Amino acid sequence: MSKTTLLITVAFIVSIGVSVFSINTDTNYQSLKKELKVSHVLHNTDRKLPIFSLIDHNESPYNNARLKDKWTLVTFIYTHCPDVCPTILMDMVSLKTILKDSSLQTTPEFVAITFDPKRDTPKVLKTYMTYFDKDFMGVSGDQGQIDRLIKPFGTYYERSIEIDGKTVLIPNGQVMPDGVNSYSINHTAWLYLLSPDGQIFAGFPAPHKPREMAKDIKLIIDNY
Amino acid sequence: MFNKIKTTILALIAITSFNSASAMEHNHSMSHQPTGVVIHDPWVRSAPPNAPMLGLFMQISNNTNATVKLLSAYAKGYQRVELHRTTNQDGLMKMTKQEFMPINANGGLSLKPGSWHIMLIGPNTVPKEGEVVMITLKFDNGTTQMVHAVVRKGKIMIDHNHHAH
Repeated sequence: MSKTTLLITVAFIVSIGVSVFSINTDTNYQSLKKELKVSHVLHNTDRKLPIFSLIDHNESPYNNARLKDKWTLVTFIYTHCPDVCPTILMDMVSLKTILKDSSLQTTPEFVAITFDPKRDTPKVLKTYMTYFDKDFMGVSGDQGQIDRLIKPFGTYYERSIEIDGKTVLIPNGQVMPDGVNSYSINHTAWLYLLSPDGQIFAGFPAPHKPREMAKDIKLIIDNY
Repeated sequence: MFNKIKTTILALIAITSFNSASAMEHNHSMSHQPTGVVIHDPWVRSAPPNAPMLGLFMQISNNTNATVKLLSAYAKGYQRVELHRTTNQDGLMKMTKQEFMPINANGGLSLKPGSWHIMLIGPNTVPKEGEVVMITLKFDNGTTQMVHAVVRKGKIMIDHNHHAH
């Protein structure tokens, strides 16, 4: 083997090694991000979910452990929502159907956590969520815990009430005036994909496109 | 080829005439005072049996030379019926109660999910898919119209890209 051939061979082997190394160390998922069409990679090892303990619509604890070792698709809703939330849930129905028909090995679990646990008890959520899909899971619980949980998602909501014909906004975390039982909620409408380490991996802003979302979810799971 | 185009055109004419005919008939039979304001495709989005609110949608055409306002809506069996509009403000979905809905002269207004809609609040019983909700619309030109809104899903379903409605 001539010196030149040897050099070329060494250079070739080194370049393969470098490229394999760079794929394996693409910890920020730079190459994956370029391929995604409708999702934002939110993976951030410095921004973890708080320890939380809520309650699912079967009255079982819903906590960090429930997010482990599986993919979960999470959104936030309230059942007094006539327009935006039913649209999100119908999009989730479409997405689940597409994912089931695709070659994915596992379908994520679909979960909706309420902004409004006072009115959305586990019983209310069970009837509401299973109407859309028998396997969809509703989650209720302590308002303070829900308010803390939504922060790392970047989710925001505010209650909108009418006082003397004027709209007054009550940001999340603030106490409602006494005796007010009628309110609507302005809120962000993202869907989130949580990875098997129980952390947020990606987010999907509204309006949702289930077909494109399904393609992105497959890419994410295949490249995780 | 020519035959195919001809058939398509004929089919389109047939569909259009059928639509106008049914719209006219609808307008005359449903309203005692024909107004030039025509309601197309009124529908209620099907919802869980415990849904506290329902969304009602339709296309409103105004074939007159003056802007008409939809002032209110009424349906029997609901605590309240309100006019609302959803807007997306930098990702925050806001729902705001409206005093009226403007239907532009020689134009129209599309009531659809994520936009203008009529909110049926506090149903005595949530209507099932396929059932009909009768709703009375009151306009600022002094006329009222009663329309029959069918309850249906109203989202694109995943049956090979065909629409469910």
